Amino acid sequence: MRPILLQGHTRPLTQIKYNNEGDLLFTVAKDTVVNVWYSHNGERLGTYEGHQGALWSVDVNSKSTLLITGAADNTARLWDVKTGKQLHVWKTNTAVKRVEFSCDNKHILFVTEKRMGFESEIYVFRIDESGTQSDTPVVVIRPKDSKATVAAWSYFDKYIVAGHEDGSVTLYNWRESDPEKQISKTVKVHQDTITDLQTSKDRSYLITSSKDKTAQLIDIETLDLLKLYQSDTSLNTATIIPDRDYVILGGGQAASEVTTTSSHQGKFESRFYHEVFENEIGRVRGHFGPINTVAVSPVGDSFSTGSEDGYVRVHFFDPDYFKYKFDV
Amino acid sequence: MMAKTNNTSWADDTTDVVLNTPQVVSEENGVKTVVEYRLNDEGKQIKVTKKIAIKVIHETVNKAVADRKKWTKFGQERGNPPGPNISTTNVGEQVFLKISQWGVEKPEEEEQANKALDPSKNKLITCRLCKGNHFTSKCPYKDTLEPIEEITSGQAKTGGPSTAAIAAASDGSKRSSSYVPPHLRAGAKPSTGDSPRDRRDEHPTIRITNLSEDTKEQDVQALCKPFGSIARVFLAKDWETGVCKGYSFVSYYEKSSAESALKKLNGYGFDNLILRAEWSNPSN
Repeated sequence: MRPILLQGHTRPLTQIKYNNEGDLLFTVAKDTVVNVWYSHNGERLGTYEGHQGALWSVDVNSKSTLLITGAADNTARLWDVKTGKQLHVWKTNTAVKRVEFSCDNKHILFVTEKRMGFESEIYVFRIDESGTQSDTPVVVIRPKDSKATVAAWSYFDKYIVAGHEDGSVTLYNWRESDPEKQISKTVKVHQDTITDLQTSKDRSYLITSSKDKTAQLIDIETLDLLKLYQSDTSLNTATIIPDRDYVILGGGQAASEVTTTSSHQGKFESRFYHEVFENEIGRVRGHFGPINTVAVSPVGDSFSTGSEDGYVRVHFFDPDYFKYKFDV
Repeated sequence: MMAKTNNTSWADDTTDVVLNTPQVVSEENGVKTVVEYRLNDEGKQIKVTKKIAIKVIHETVNKAVADRKKWTKFGQERGNPPGPNISTTNVGEQVFLKISQWGVEKPEEEEQANKALDPSKNKLITCRLCKGNHFTSKCPYKDTLEPIEEITSGQAKTGGPSTAAIAAASDGSKRSSSYVPPHLRAGAKPSTGDSPRDRRDEHPTIRITNLSEDTKEQDVQALCKPFGSIARVFLAKDWETGVCKGYSFVSYYEKSSAESALKKLNGYGFDNLILRAEWSNPSN
């Protein structure tokens, strides 16, 4: 396969997201611009401009009408996907590290960084799809033991599941206003910081990646460990392929150590693991820096990786990939 | 006039519309037949028939997706024509995803790179102390094995005059850093005298020079046999052609026979040449 290289950013990529139909690809990086691309040919549809700091996270609602971004300029912003117009700005005390729309598009969550005396917090706001947005959060969750690094909505928006710096995953009952009752369950699954957390298509289980060189498949309801994928490098991202029993992991050496070795030793490949058997089944190389973020098209025909080297690579799978049958 | 028609310029070509315009001859079952006349490189008129099958593929896409394809560009892309812009979108090099049940094979070049960096994987490196695949300075037995080495070199010193010279040479090498052959270095196995190479020097040997090119080993043997029993005959020959290089060594069992051979053969005429015979020098 010949990947499509997208050069819309000048700094390391932080997150990429497909929309619900997989025809649009949203990318954010540590520069101040949000790009949207047609995924089938890599044509850039437009940019969303207004942020004044590095962007950390992006998400689009299931109808592809609204876009939300979180950035290091202590704001989260809501955009009109079609026109690129900024609709609302939420000001926070610290950088917004993670944003996500709920399944029903009625709520958003964002995770803020622990910095300058402020603790890490998870905010939930109500989104009015036609009118003005509220600046008062529905609920604010304050993780106690360790700061939250990533968060996602569970199935039917029942819980908010968050990954923490100490490697634990916590299920929050976000509809509860009493902080004592908010924590439904917490399990320490990783030895090191959780770098990414992505849910399956039906949001009944999730995959976490961590700096401890493993990725884990976890049941959302029970937080039981389902599968463990061991790699030889610290992982930045992991995703589940919707229509096949594979997962993709991405990582590599920390950015500060990259210049000391050649790209061969950097382990900058995207690694494919079998979801059930937990063994590595393939690799795709190409990046010159660690992979920061990986996303699979909801259609399952392509996947994209964003790297520290500033490139996004969109790969459409070869016919061989679809023909391959796993021999059990 | 002839030259002009042969040398048709592009300007002439364009005026000859009938000749150059492709004409659709027939169109049936979705196959278009196009006929075109043109001049080839040799100036001859040729007929080109092309059959073009047109297949229309209807792709069904989500209505929302089809709508989104018609959106106008905004932001930094405002006003740009449809289609990917090469300043932001490129096609990369071919990459492969080979799904394999049995895990991932390491790329060869990567292994080679590892080999070059990791001395333990390089067969060329042998530890002088423990014969392991690492540098001597990194030997894990460095502290325990070095004293043993000193003991053996000490034994060599008392072993005999030749090994004493070896030890001296190795001592000198530490100071002067001049080259010392491996078999003379400290720690090398002292020679036992068992090999034929060492036994050779025990027999009295004479060197015969100024032999002719045609000389064979049998000739030398026949020449020297009358003086006593011969232990060994060596005739220097060219490695490739087998031609005699002009000298030979003959070892006798008895010193007396060697002496008599030396006396008789020195100045003896053999194959039109005057031979020269003398005692051979010991090899070291």
